[in-house]
Amino acid sequence: MWISKFDENIAEYALMLASRMGEYAEAYLERSYSTAYSMEQGELTGGAFNDSTGLRIRIISEKKLYTLSTNKIEESEIRALLDKLIKFNGKEVEMSEERVEQDDYVVREKEIIEDEALLSSLLEIDKRVKGIGYVKYRSVYADAGKATSYFVNSDGTRIGAELPYVSAFAAMTVSAGGDSRQRMLQFGGTGGLELFDPGAICERLESEAGALRNVIKTGKTLAKAELAGITNVVVSPEIIGIAVHESIGHPSEADRVFGREAAQAGTSYLGPGDLGIEIGSEKVTIADDPTIKGSYGFYLYDDEGVKARKKVIVRGGKQDALLVNREYANDLKIRSNSSARSDMYSNEPLVRMSNTYLERGELGLEELVEVAKEGIYIKSFTEWNIDDTRSFARYQGNEAYLIRNGRISTPVKNYALEAKTLDFWHAVRELGSDFELTLGECGKGEPVQGVPVTMGGPHALLCFG
Amino acid sequence: MEENSIGKAREIARSAITGGFDEAAVMLFDRRRSYLKIANSKIDSIVEKKDIYAMMFASSRKRNFFTNIEDLSKKGIEERIRRARSMVERQKPKDDYYGMANGPFKYKGRDLADRNILACINCTMEDIAGNAISGAEDAGRGNAVAGMLQVGHLKTFLATSNGAEASGTSTYARLNLRIYNDRSAFQDVAVSRRLNDIMPHGMGTKAGEMFRMGNGREGKIEKGTYDVIYLQLPAGLLLSNINSMACISSVETGSYLAGKMGKQVANRNVNIYDDGASPELVGSSRFDAEGYPTQKTPIIRNGVLENYLHNYSTAMKYKKKSTGNAGLVLPSPNTTVVECRKTVDDVRSLVSKVDKGILVTNTWYTRFSNYLKGDFSTVPRDLAYYIENGEIKFSIRQTKTENMVGIRISDNMIRMMENVDYAARDARQTSSWDYEEGSYVAPSVLVRGANVTVA
Repeated sequence: MWISKFDENIAEYALMLASRMGEYAEAYLERSYSTAYSMEQGELTGGAFNDSTGLRIRIISEKKLYTLSTNKIEESEIRALLDKLIKFNGKEVEMSEERVEQDDYVVREKEIIEDEALLSSLLEIDKRVKGIGYVKYRSVYADAGKATSYFVNSDGTRIGAELPYVSAFAAMTVSAGGDSRQRMLQFGGTGGLELFDPGAICERLESEAGALRNVIKTGKTLAKAELAGITNVVVSPEIIGIAVHESIGHPSEADRVFGREAAQAGTSYLGPGDLGIEIGSEKVTIADDPTIKGSYGFYLYDDEGVKARKKVIVRGGKQDALLVNREYANDLKIRSNSSARSDMYSNEPLVRMSNTYLERGELGLEELVEVAKEGIYIKSFTEWNIDDTRSFARYQGNEAYLIRNGRISTPVKNYALEAKTLDFWHAVRELGSDFELTLGECGKGEPVQGVPVTMGGPHALLCFG
Repeated sequence: MEENSIGKAREIARSAITGGFDEAAVMLFDRRRSYLKIANSKIDSIVEKKDIYAMMFASSRKRNFFTNIEDLSKKGIEERIRRARSMVERQKPKDDYYGMANGPFKYKGRDLADRNILACINCTMEDIAGNAISGAEDAGRGNAVAGMLQVGHLKTFLATSNGAEASGTSTYARLNLRIYNDRSAFQDVAVSRRLNDIMPHGMGTKAGEMFRMGNGREGKIEKGTYDVIYLQLPAGLLLSNINSMACISSVETGSYLAGKMGKQVANRNVNIYDDGASPELVGSSRFDAEGYPTQKTPIIRNGVLENYLHNYSTAMKYKKKSTGNAGLVLPSPNTTVVECRKTVDDVRSLVSKVDKGILVTNTWYTRFSNYLKGDFSTVPRDLAYYIENGEIKFSIRQTKTENMVGIRISDNMIRMMENVDYAARDARQTSSWDYEEGSYVAPSVLVRGANVTVA
């Protein structure tokens, strides 16, 4: 473990002082580093190495919640920080009762990520993308690192963690005949170089670039009447993923439901008493599971020391659970389901997703298309957005095709799936047997925190109307 | 303290040269920030942050490297320089890198630091939040408020191996408030270097005025083409994208401003500036990340694209002068200032110019489907009004009820700028809630003929 005995002692010291100030206290010490390289249009912008060490202390004193942080890991600094605590009158906060945990966990890289390997992989990706003649602009970025942490609280929980990660990002503009399409893709996970396969990334980029060129060159622009007549839509795991994340995961975060994010990341169409309400068709079961090995949203204990577990958010079309931290678990008189995460030591843990997905079904893509008979198949999207309450969203098709006589046919240039959330999930008629997770950085809070997540599921057939 | 910190930045830059780099720029930051969160009309929690660290850019034979340094001891600095050397040696040169700016430089004016903000960090945040909450409640029965009060005290010290040295001390206060009831919501963000410019109670009063504009009438609209009035908050948020896309690094990798230098890209009444030099603006600084003096740069003047934003190296590449936009990695925008010469008194006057349109008080989730073309869509969040024949007819229901409708604007940045017809004489500094350390200055603007969809 990279966290030393000195670090543990500092965290314990902070906990000891903080515990004297309130009814609950915790200390979280984190050391992290990252190595990154970026290229734009074939030029290596540069290499980067960053590290970070810091301590976060949270105190509940007279039922008020305080979060303090510093990157100066010294006893005198901790004392100074606690001495200046500003007391206030406001919301009363209590933590839910949770099992006391004492554990260390380490994710081992099967292949250690050396700087040289990261750089050479990036150069290989750039070279291959450059080789695609019709990619006009390209940017590639690779990043790998590790975060180690030690969490301790006044309940007696002590968790040590070491999580390596690797991530690659590619953006390309495909151009043909004066028109263009853009595509951004992210790859990676929690682990080592075994999760970073430049060959597979290049094949994916080449395949997608070719498909987008085909959309530009042979794609049809549908007339308003044709667009209005589309009722059957087959969507890929990528579209299902963004829809699961934006329109099910976010509105199921308890802090939104209770209004804590009302001026920031938004509210929810769900109210505190809406468990059991119908969200979609009975085919729809949606879960959030941080324990998927190798996934970008992986963890075994959340940032409040609660043991991670899979949570079913929607079961058979009905809202089954909210994502909660200890504060909202206490408000709801339930146990936390391990959803507290922060992006780094200096920010407060918020209610967050991890790996969120729609459970798969039994049909192949060809069968889904055959059942659809007439409609649209959306394979990838470009812009997307959703309202404050997560009630209506749009996913603008990037690579999309007409479905004619039960088969995928002509590319389509201008289809956007724009629907109310409950209409979208009620339209789920059939599910594919495949399954894919897409990586993302999920933003929330003020200041905005980005945490690594995945989102996905199988192909699905949606029937509107 | 100041000389010690400059000395530390100088020491790091010298160590980089001793360690085998050709040049180095070091910025040392000493930051203290406080965040008071408001939810459900109560103070929810307080977060206090304190950190000291350095950021370094260094280059060796056109091979560039960026790093932070938290361990500022001699040993910590030397270890980081060794790490930098080992990484940079594997890199191939960046052929279009032309070096850092050569100092020393003279800097005009001084940064703005408000003593009241330092005092605020220690004691008065609760009072300000209390005023914000009471202002919201006074604005109308049933109003609740959520938001964030943020205050910060930032010290920055810079030294480069090319002779530039500078320091600055600045403060900022930001109050993000969303005032809402079961019918509607209104969000605004006040930003300033000075605490007294933040009027917490007044933000509630403004929300009340906005809620009353519709006289309680509600309705739905159909999809179609509408004139759109954006208040300052969404106008600045959308148009500040111009500054990002005017950075030469964006232009080189696919910006809707690429290839349009000297061409008409906006209505001839529109000017858009990048302003790094105004001490009043949060996000400004007298010097950029390589110590070059910042300035007010016209990006668009009289509707014509006039400048891209450069650091020293990119300016050399294109035979231009630096615009003082060096970030540690790539050129980056300072603050955005939007001007429109064709003005009317206020928002009500803008409304009078509209036959069929909507008034948008806030937007979010602005996403581009193609940066090369400038195509985007954005979701109006909170209160929006339908306008007909110069009058507000009703508010468009956007809160969670059975009658809720969602509206979305699909547009193109160039088309939008070309169709800015009028602005109100109400330009002010504001910012989006998720744009932490920057700001923009924009008036409320009337944009003709945007495509609006309804779900």
